[in-house]
Amino acid sequence: MQKYMSATAIALCLASPALAEGKLNLYVWSESIAPELIETFSREYDVEVSVDGYTSNEDLLTKLQAGASGYDIAVPSQHFLRIMIDEGLVENYGANKLEAYNNIDERWRNQWWDETQEYSIPLAYGTAGFVVNTEEYDGPTDSLKYFLEPDGDLAGRIAMLSYPDEIIGTAQLYLGVPFCSEDPDEMKKVLDLLMAQKEAVAVYSSDNIESRLISGEVATHFWWDGETVRAQSEGAPLTYAMPKEGLVGWLDSMVIPKGAPNRENAIKFIEFISTPENATVEMNHYAHSSPMTVVEEDKKYTKDVAPALYPEVPVEMSRTCSPKAQDLVTRVWTQLLQ
Amino acid sequence: MSDISHHQAVVPEKLVQGKPHARGWNLAVLGVLPSWLLMGFALIIPILIIVAVSFSVRGAYGGFDWGFDLAGYKQILFNEGWSGEIEFTPQYLVIILRTLLLAGVTTLLCLTLAVPVAYYIASQPPFRKALLVYLVTLPFWMSMILRVYAWMIILGRDGPLPQFLQFFGAPSGLTLMYNDGATLAAMVYTYIPLMVLPVFASIEKLDGTLIEAAHDLYGSRWTALRRVILPLTAPGIASGAILVFVPSLGAVLEPILMGGGKQMMMGSLIQLQFGGGRNWPFGSAIAVMLMIFVMIVLVLIALRARRKEVAA
Repeated sequence: MQKYMSATAIALCLASPALAEGKLNLYVWSESIAPELIETFSREYDVEVSVDGYTSNEDLLTKLQAGASGYDIAVPSQHFLRIMIDEGLVENYGANKLEAYNNIDERWRNQWWDETQEYSIPLAYGTAGFVVNTEEYDGPTDSLKYFLEPDGDLAGRIAMLSYPDEIIGTAQLYLGVPFCSEDPDEMKKVLDLLMAQKEAVAVYSSDNIESRLISGEVATHFWWDGETVRAQSEGAPLTYAMPKEGLVGWLDSMVIPKGAPNRENAIKFIEFISTPENATVEMNHYAHSSPMTVVEEDKKYTKDVAPALYPEVPVEMSRTCSPKAQDLVTRVWTQLLQ
Repeated sequence: MSDISHHQAVVPEKLVQGKPHARGWNLAVLGVLPSWLLMGFALIIPILIIVAVSFSVRGAYGGFDWGFDLAGYKQILFNEGWSGEIEFTPQYLVIILRTLLLAGVTTLLCLTLAVPVAYYIASQPPFRKALLVYLVTLPFWMSMILRVYAWMIILGRDGPLPQFLQFFGAPSGLTLMYNDGATLAAMVYTYIPLMVLPVFASIEKLDGTLIEAAHDLYGSRWTALRRVILPLTAPGIASGAILVFVPSLGAVLEPILMGGGKQMMMGSLIQLQFGGGRNWPFGSAIAVMLMIFVMIVLVLIALRARRKEVAA
């Protein structure tokens, strides 16, 4: 036994990247980066990579605002990226001069969240909407009406996320209220809609979504396109709804937080993950759409396999709300769960 | 490190010359200096920061600017209503009261269940006693989140408990999740060892002859429990109640995962203010309120204990 233990210890020491040249600390969406890419990068560049995960943009923003995060790369969504640039929380690393910039799909370059594309290189994009377990619900899904104003079939079997970000946006799409509305009357309508829906909601939670949905504990859950696609590819009986009112869209980009200790390695990693080959590996792992040029024939989630990634309904990107609009969002949410 | 030992070696000697009793005083102070430093950095300074943030000026996109502003505290009671007027809004009070209620009920249930369990353990022979105490602490070896997930499986759709009830005629597809009862079950399960252990410790010290004496004086079992056992085990009950009540006030996981998160608790309210609400001063003000409640409970218990001592 002891022999075995010491042999393991020696093997661990040899395999451990503790002797590596440099370090790289990633703070990314949980389970978003393909482990094989981390491994390859770590080996090729002799860099010890550590990965921490978060599950909401708010967590990330709060951590960066609290200062001295020690992270080299973070991946905010577009509306939070805008705040981080304006608040001076991220570095200008001249992203538009990198090789990676040339590989960004034309339509995702120089958007309002980073007009000059100096602060960010995109990693993934997608939508948020509702997913149904087809074994529990076989009704129509082509309108948000079935989710937000359920009439029996789904009553008591709906699950929402436990924070307001995309949920309020979806309610706004349904009601025709503009995102980030500063009009209390419009936002009162959003509250009334969600209040009425609450009768039929079983749970507001952002954890454990997959098992709650697949076990049939609930029949429908608010979720993301890529997570749905990943579960579908493992055989789960799920359908990602394509409501005619539209879907809430997001795009996550790689940024370097101010004062990052390993800036050079961060840029190396951004270049590395943005090549067409590696962007393909990443997309095949994450199951969200890639804003980069990918190797088409190696792409696992094509339109036939993963229709959820190719919406034909309008997609409205979340916007950066003014403090006044954000306060209304918080007020709706607090009163909903009061 | 070397700095501290250096001081300890030199400073007392110097002072001894002047003041005859200084040596003892210095040892008492310097000896506990490491724990004071630890307390200061890990406990007192963070609390002072939270208090300072609660009086600071809110940043537009979260964060805060140093300054003095009572807006965070005002917001607990007064907010802009849908009509645009500043009005008394009890929504946060409702959340605070609900949290106090949940913590109170959890403590009471834990107490009711823990006293007989502790009594039973205390009445066992030594080996079995040690084994049972060990078993009570066993759940702490596992992460709390896993224990909550286990309850989600037990109460969930087609879980063991619903299936057991189906055997007696309950409808199939039954779920016992997402209600206050489920929240309470997980809360009581999570915190009950913290009640059993101190109660057990004080029951174990109980002098059995006193109970016999109570019976000799024609006290019924109920009287013996009320007038002898409970007063003598009060310190254990009090510390158990503190150990359960205080963490229950901050519970976030159980109300969301088991209760369905349909009604906010203070913990999730604070979380919302530091996240989506982007209002750190308000979040800190709520946290300070939470601390004040805890302090009040502790002070009340301490005062009671002292009154007892004086009376004795």
